Amino acid sequence: MSLGSVGRPWPQIDAVDKVRGRTRYAADMTLPGQLYGRILRSPVPHGIIRRIDTSRALKVPGVRAVITAADLPPNGPEGKGRVPFGPYVDDWEILCSDRVRYIGDEVAAVAAVSEEAAAEALELIEVEYEPLPAVFDMHEALEPGAPVLWPERPGNIASRFDIARGDLDAARRKAHLVLEERYSTNRIYHAYLEPIAVLAEAHPGDRYTLIAPTHIPYKARVTYARGLGIDPGKIRLIVPPMGGSFGAKYELNVCMIAMLLARKTGRPVKMVFDRAEDAAAGHHRPPLHFDIRLALDRDGRFLSKEVRIVATAGARTMWTPPVVATAAHRIDALYHFEAVRAEALLVYTNTSPTTCMRGFGNAEMLFAFEQMVDQAAEELGIDPVEIRKRNAVRAGDVTIHGWRIGSSALEECLDRVALLSGFSRRKPAPRHPPASGKARGLGLAIGHHVSGYRPILAEYDGSAAWVRLDMDGRLSVAVGEPDIGQGLNTVVAMIAADELGVSPSEIDVMPVDTAHSPAAVGTLGSRATIMAGAAVKAAARDFKKKLLAFAGELLGADPGELVLERGRVLWRRGGGESGEREGGPGASLTLAELGRRWAAAHTGSPLVGQGSYRPETVLPGPDKYGNPSPAYPFAAHVAEVEVDVETGAVEVVNYWAVHDSGRIINPSTATGQVQGGVAQGIGWALMEDVAIRGGRVENPNFLDYRIPGFQDVPPMTVEFVGESEPNSPTGVKSLGESALNPVLPAIANAVYNAVGVRIHDAPLTPEAVWRAIQRRREELEAAGKEREAQ
Amino acid sequence: MLGKVVVRAVLNGQECEFLADPRQTLLEVLREELHLTGTKEGCGNGNCGACTVIVNGRPVNSCLMLAVQAQDAVIETVEGLARGSKLHPLQQVFLEEAALQCGICTPGFLMAAKALLDVNPDPTEAEVRHYLAGNLCRCTGYDKIVRAVLKAAQVLREESEKAAEVSA
Repeated sequence: MSLGSVGRPWPQIDAVDKVRGRTRYAADMTLPGQLYGRILRSPVPHGIIRRIDTSRALKVPGVRAVITAADLPPNGPEGKGRVPFGPYVDDWEILCSDRVRYIGDEVAAVAAVSEEAAAEALELIEVEYEPLPAVFDMHEALEPGAPVLWPERPGNIASRFDIARGDLDAARRKAHLVLEERYSTNRIYHAYLEPIAVLAEAHPGDRYTLIAPTHIPYKARVTYARGLGIDPGKIRLIVPPMGGSFGAKYELNVCMIAMLLARKTGRPVKMVFDRAEDAAAGHHRPPLHFDIRLALDRDGRFLSKEVRIVATAGARTMWTPPVVATAAHRIDALYHFEAVRAEALLVYTNTSPTTCMRGFGNAEMLFAFEQMVDQAAEELGIDPVEIRKRNAVRAGDVTIHGWRIGSSALEECLDRVALLSGFSRRKPAPRHPPASGKARGLGLAIGHHVSGYRPILAEYDGSAAWVRLDMDGRLSVAVGEPDIGQGLNTVVAMIAADELGVSPSEIDVMPVDTAHSPAAVGTLGSRATIMAGAAVKAAARDFKKKLLAFAGELLGADPGELVLERGRVLWRRGGGESGEREGGPGASLTLAELGRRWAAAHTGSPLVGQGSYRPETVLPGPDKYGNPSPAYPFAAHVAEVEVDVETGAVEVVNYWAVHDSGRIINPSTATGQVQGGVAQGIGWALMEDVAIRGGRVENPNFLDYRIPGFQDVPPMTVEFVGESEPNSPTGVKSLGESALNPVLPAIANAVYNAVGVRIHDAPLTPEAVWRAIQRRREELEAAGKEREAQ
Repeated sequence: MLGKVVVRAVLNGQECEFLADPRQTLLEVLREELHLTGTKEGCGNGNCGACTVIVNGRPVNSCLMLAVQAQDAVIETVEGLARGSKLHPLQQVFLEEAALQCGICTPGFLMAAKALLDVNPDPTEAEVRHYLAGNLCRCTGYDKIVRAVLKAAQVLREESEKAAEVSA
């Protein structure tokens, strides 16, 4: 057997094209005769559309179509009427029929021969709006008498999630310490560097080709088909290389608009958002508000936890319902509790719709909870590492909701990160914020996630893959999970390569295309490596079995005496090679020869190995008890910060991250995942905030919405610990989201350690930290005066 | 509307001539007229660096420069970095060090880094971080990019030392 690639750093198989500028992202593609599409968006946050006049726009030279809600095809029962639709809640419309609900809502669209003509036409569409009262704050939206966005959903509730387990009263009675805290996280922008871009073509018979970024092509086309009133099979969705997404590019209304413009004009239509449009209407991470009551015993053991969450959906519901569900109870797979209760409300406001982002609610809850763990540790006089160890789940545990922890090296993560960071040098937080200068602090937080999440698609879990040898000797692999830039295709190629005895560079990983890829749930819930990787491994084994049987026929050998290595099948008997003659030990056939001879023997058919992986999960029932994921990754992070006491500015000066993600396939891309996740966490923790005033996004560009640059991110130390995961055929667990999850609380705990103030609301901007320091000083001063007076 | 202007420039080592509308940016002309789509538009207002090209030896946000301003200029884009199938050391090291993920910002980083190494063959880590501060990346956290640029600088220095020895 060759040394193999798995476990060694391997360059991404698509990196050569990327460094040469040859990778063709959607915006780089041009279809013959293509038109340019643009969207007219509502300038008012809430209003009735009284009149739309497109006649002047249609007269602009070069304009080929202007569409409004009147042009939408029927999608109702039996092909009649228009009905709202959507992935979780039926509140999508493609184009607004009678009412707009946020600044940016899609009202009309234009297709023209040039961007300029399309832009000019947009300005000439006349729309008369009758303003309605609007609500922008999610708490206000819950109040009686608040403006209602969807009359059929009174109270502005888009969705809710409730869970309860254990005897709360009994658990609380044992409490030695009860913490009641309020935390909140803010609305941020995914800020991928590639703005949303799609291309669509319409074909006879209601068929379409759509080239569009998405994590979930098979799911997305179901949503698009519902919107268009057609069968999902009519849409061929080709996923181009993606220039970042982090959860934003799931299901996009613009795809259906492009398809309708293509249908109306009979020409391909390309639509590319500019940055301002993307940042204002390309969806955001939802802000979450937490009220948490945590009861602990004298030894710091968690007894009960009660949580109330409010989050905003914005004006329409995208992928935020499962985000708030995650925020409400995933923490219960990190720590043990005797009893828990959580309720989460997802609320409509007249703002840009929110959706999922890396960390998916779990990062938000960890921001709150990991700070509370530190608060409890301090009050009880327990070391922050120790209190976490006392409460954390361990390998073999079953959590309160039935989740089965197959492996966990969390204790090792904690010990290792403490050692690397010199956590023992951490001093207690100062009682008085330092008077001036810069103060340093260390903060610890842990985190976890799932590796795929069964309830995303109740029908089935897992993945399928094909390995194929063509008559020209080309080896290719097909999976249904798109590479979203994280390097999935490289990992898939490495796994296949090791099974097949070739180099990963000799394997093509096919772009995901619903015309010929295996159907899949997609790349979400940190599932792609474990699911697609295991399916590819199975497919490669099936392929190898067929290949060796065929080679055995050709050589007259027992397949058991054949080995596949270094791109050829070799007849080995007694271990030695004895010449190159066909029909005896030592004979060999190259893959190219085998591909040619297989195709000849099978009238052109390629040799295809098929495999699938169905993880042993238990779909949680109505009581939400089950085991939704085959494996759970863990991490422990330490941040070292320097706080400028006079300005409140926080700088992360050092960062250490130790992860248990099971077996690591590609250490170099795995390290990159962690570093990138930490950088995103630093941005979220310290600088990023979508500013919405009067419903308008006021910072839709990278000057006013700053994401971390070179100067904002410190050098990072990243290590992996832990063993192969027993429930995973390749031994892997997930990494992409657990990389981000502990970052915010690690930084917030470090800020507390530096200056003695706890920030409850992300982000920890200089102003927020400065104000907290002033408040703390005032409190101490008032307390001092009171003491004097006594 | 004004007529198009003939612009003559040296693009990736080749003399070239193209027509540009006076309001077109260099980025638009590169991508749409010359079909060099390696240079990316990340923001269109000079904040992200994805469209960085080198003009007369200096890194430029091509989204902020009009194509007609490139008259008689020497322009370098990512497509001109490699020599045939031989990658430029920056490209080779970015690839080996996994200094990229989704890759959309990579051409801009490569060109900005080349502009740095052309004038400063032996930068410190702080100099790299400072010089590349105008380029944004959302995937990598920058650590591997810093390492890659420093390593590429070393490779380039060794190459030029070798070349000097040979000519000596």
